[in-house]
Amino acid sequence: MLLNSPKQTASPVDPGLAIQIKHLNFYFGAGELRKQVLFDISLDLPKGQIVILTGPSGSGKTTLLTLLGALRTLHEGSLVVLGKEIVGLPDRALIPIRRNIGFIFQAHNLFESLTASQNVEMSVELTGQLAKKRRLAVEMLSQLGLADRVDYKPNALSGGQKQRVAIARAMVNRPKIILADEPTAALDKDSGRDVVNLMRQFCEEEGTTVLMVTHDNRILDVADRIINLVDGRLESDSNPEIYHQSH
Amino acid sequence: MISLGGVAFAVLLMFIFTGFMNALYDSQVQLLDRLNGDVIVVNRLKSNMFVPASFARRRLYQVRAFEGVEDAYPLYISEGNWKNPETGKSFSVRTLAFNLGDPVLDMPEVGEQTSALQLPNSALIDVRARGEIGATKTGVVSELADRTLRIVGTFELGTDFASGNGNLIMSDVNFLRYFANRGPDEETRSFATADVGVVKLAPRANVEKVVAALREALPEDVLVMPKEGPDGFVNRERMYWQENTNIGFVFSLLTTMSFFVGIILVYQILYTDVADHWAEYATLKAMGYGNGYLLGVVLQEAIFLSILGFIPGFAISSLLYSGAAEATGLFFQMTSRRVLTLFVATFVMCVFSGVVAVRKVQANDPAEVFGG
Repeated sequence: MLLNSPKQTASPVDPGLAIQIKHLNFYFGAGELRKQVLFDISLDLPKGQIVILTGPSGSGKTTLLTLLGALRTLHEGSLVVLGKEIVGLPDRALIPIRRNIGFIFQAHNLFESLTASQNVEMSVELTGQLAKKRRLAVEMLSQLGLADRVDYKPNALSGGQKQRVAIARAMVNRPKIILADEPTAALDKDSGRDVVNLMRQFCEEEGTTVLMVTHDNRILDVADRIINLVDGRLESDSNPEIYHQSH
Repeated sequence: MISLGGVAFAVLLMFIFTGFMNALYDSQVQLLDRLNGDVIVVNRLKSNMFVPASFARRRLYQVRAFEGVEDAYPLYISEGNWKNPETGKSFSVRTLAFNLGDPVLDMPEVGEQTSALQLPNSALIDVRARGEIGATKTGVVSELADRTLRIVGTFELGTDFASGNGNLIMSDVNFLRYFANRGPDEETRSFATADVGVVKLAPRANVEKVVAALREALPEDVLVMPKEGPDGFVNRERMYWQENTNIGFVFSLLTTMSFFVGIILVYQILYTDVADHWAEYATLKAMGYGNGYLLGVVLQEAIFLSILGFIPGFAISSLLYSGAAEATGLFFQMTSRRVLTLFVATFVMCVFSGVVAVRKVQANDPAEVFGG
């Protein structure tokens, strides 16, 4: 089932896996209004893989992404992120896990009062590298083609530029996992390609795992694996060639 | 700007209420503070300045005999009706009288005008008296206790509960002219009794020892107290008004209420701001910033609010204080200690509101904001 499958071990938590999901259920609301949005999801994401998550809207893609990003408290099933079980963890315990994850939001969610560089620096500060935060931020922005925009505030940037700042913010700490919700939606073909190439590079150089929700067919080829989610259930899990044939 | 206005308004409310409260207390002791002595002798029944009980003046002669006592002066106080020379209406004023040779009051302007006070039927008038009693300036001629009185000078004291609408100062001889024989219904005053005995001690005398010796030796009809200190005469007067009137309760209540109004105002301000930046706070959380950091951000804002809101609140209050002092004759004092107290209150108000405002963000899963 896995491409590039790393060596399997007998331990329940495979050190080669970035994320291991077993029988995960998730509900919105409570009591009468409780509605299940994810049904019995089981999924292994090894390190160094780019996985694209597709599916019709309302199928629970973003929800799954936020669960993996430890952005919600969870109660049912098992979700192991970077070797740590996070189902049942209180909010406080989720915070250190989030620091190892770069999250690229659908809306860029930049801080309007900070410059591009400062936005990225906010991320670097979490690692305590205060002395070189500026240098790291500028380096990252330059890689994304924003070298001449580092001191601009978000409202002086175009939509694509803002998105790239958000991507720089998620990637600057070289996280083990990058979760991206429609990262290329606001980008033109070339910059979208640049972004996915950068992610590809991270995967290969640093063993970063990327899980991307996207409808953007132009970048499907970058994926090692494409997972299709329909109505909260895993519908298919294949590589791009097979995906193209079946869709 | 609107948010600063909210904080400034709360600060203003607190300043006004505490201002009035303190003014009422401070005013009560304005005269007492100016008594030029270290030890005070009063009738045991005179629990506050409002009680007209006087004591035998010979007690002061006894006091003079004690070691460490330099001198003891009687101060005569009486209420009398002063006729406003412009309207002809009468208002109650307080008359303070003493032997012109005795430095009873620590008020230089009074000392300079004693020669004018030697004239019969002459007095000094308090320029901070209430407006009802008419012009307070030299040369006014009107009636006190139905006798003609000429104002020969002015001084500055201010009104309080016991003084009615203002104060007059005259010589003890003139005092007798007005208050010795006022008719069958009124108390007859003479030099045999004094209202407040002001005892001046020798430069290096120990106040406590002298007070103890005087208490021991003098009969029970008088009460001997140091002027200053926690058990002193000034403090006793202040405590009387604090503990036996509703002033303290009413104004403390109002101050507390304005404090809570402030909390609600600042909470609304901060909460609106947090709600406006909901996504940014959630992003911070999603990036791995802890609740403590979010609290820090909101508290920073709260502290800015408290400082920037306090400044205009303080400035406007200062203006209002002088305006109110002008209008009422009460003694509005903006001491640094009071300003500091209210600043701390403002600070607490803002921080508390900040803590409450940020709780909602802290409680939420960050993903709630991004939809699902």
